[in-house]
Amino acid sequence: MPASLQEVKRRITSTKKTGQITTAMQMVSTSKLNQIQKHTKTYQVYASKIRNVITHLAASHLLDDVEAPETVEEGEVNSLAMLQQRSVKKTGLVVITSDRGLVGSYNSNVIKQTMNLISKNHHSKDDVEIIAIGGTGADFFKKRGYDIVYEYRELGDVPTFREVRPIVRAILKMFESEKFDELFVCYNHFVNSLTSTFRGEQMLPISAENLGSEGLSDTNDSGYNLEYDTEPSEDAILEVILPQYAESLLYGAMLDAKTSEHASSSTAMRSASDNADDIIAGLELQYNRARQSAITTEITEITGAQAALE
Amino acid sequence: MADKPELTVNVVTPDGSIYEETTDMAICKTTQGELGILPNRLPLLASLAIDEIRVRQDNGEFDEVAVSGGFLEFSDNTLSIVASAAERKEDIDSKRAERARERAQERIEKAKKAHNPDELRRAEVSLRRALNRLSISNR
Repeated sequence: MPASLQEVKRRITSTKKTGQITTAMQMVSTSKLNQIQKHTKTYQVYASKIRNVITHLAASHLLDDVEAPETVEEGEVNSLAMLQQRSVKKTGLVVITSDRGLVGSYNSNVIKQTMNLISKNHHSKDDVEIIAIGGTGADFFKKRGYDIVYEYRELGDVPTFREVRPIVRAILKMFESEKFDELFVCYNHFVNSLTSTFRGEQMLPISAENLGSEGLSDTNDSGYNLEYDTEPSEDAILEVILPQYAESLLYGAMLDAKTSEHASSSTAMRSASDNADDIIAGLELQYNRARQSAITTEITEITGAQAALE
Repeated sequence: MADKPELTVNVVTPDGSIYEETTDMAICKTTQGELGILPNRLPLLASLAIDEIRVRQDNGEFDEVAVSGGFLEFSDNTLSIVASAAERKEDIDSKRAERARERAQERIEKAKKAHNPDELRRAEVSLRRALNRLSISNR
């Protein structure tokens, strides 16, 4: 036990203080997690409504008709463009990360998997446009010379649709103006408060496949196989719904990412607090031993001195 | 009221369901014109204008909800209004709407000067939204 009593004591106090901070941060993250989960639940009502209607329209083979080559006037912004498969010259990637650290492996996971996705699709730097939401991702890709077409920092802890809307609008506009021809969204999907998995999904153009994967399973039990009257026409309705659908998908991805950010922050802080407890226990043992040996030495000295006097 | 047919009106936005009531009639403004919806109607899909939804109460008065576009879906006596933003009359922040109106008007001026049809169209939509909120809350 070389450490002096003083030093051990100082380390115990400082570790205790750090532990207090991490415990507080854990509680903050947990409450944010609760909030956002409540919010996500209400959002899902909205999302599933839209998805059901879209699936219904898809089921009536409307999407197939639209996908057939169609003459879109130059310069005219047409929401049906979201359905058109263009030859892919550029790929847009929305990368959702957090602004701050202390979230465990959350950011490194997203970034690593995004790089995998880029290399798997054999894209080089010039084929990719990055839309960075969250500071960590923005800094990472900027440093590596990627082209960042949109950057947004300081997304709220429980983002509202009103806050997200300008971002979503900007992204959709870039797609319409053919800045990129397909859009992937890369984020951490929240599984439960301990695990999250990476998701890199194609979002645009909207195709039968990426509708079908989520939508079709719902169709049978919800009675959406009904025949609808449509007003004014199915095409016109599709034109209203598709942008709304794309907006809601992106918003959903952001909510999901934020949820898993809060979850991993909470987990990281919990393990930090646990570590602090372990360290404190070890240090306290060390402190007591040092104190004991100091006492023993003192006693030996006193008795030694007494023996010498007699 | 057991013998009287009713329908449920449900207004959902990304920030949750903001209005849910049963009624015997709801009046919506679609992009084609006004549309009254009664119980036991055939299933319907329609795109909505930036306007209001009026829902008749038992006492004959109407509840008013401002919606900014979106669409409506009616089936099984449930009318779902799915809009990216909607507010009940009581919840409208008229100061905010007033500011939004001013902003939109500025944008329109600017877009006209710059001959930017895209921006002009978007600004006009914002202006319509703001005016819609204002006209409902001032009634």
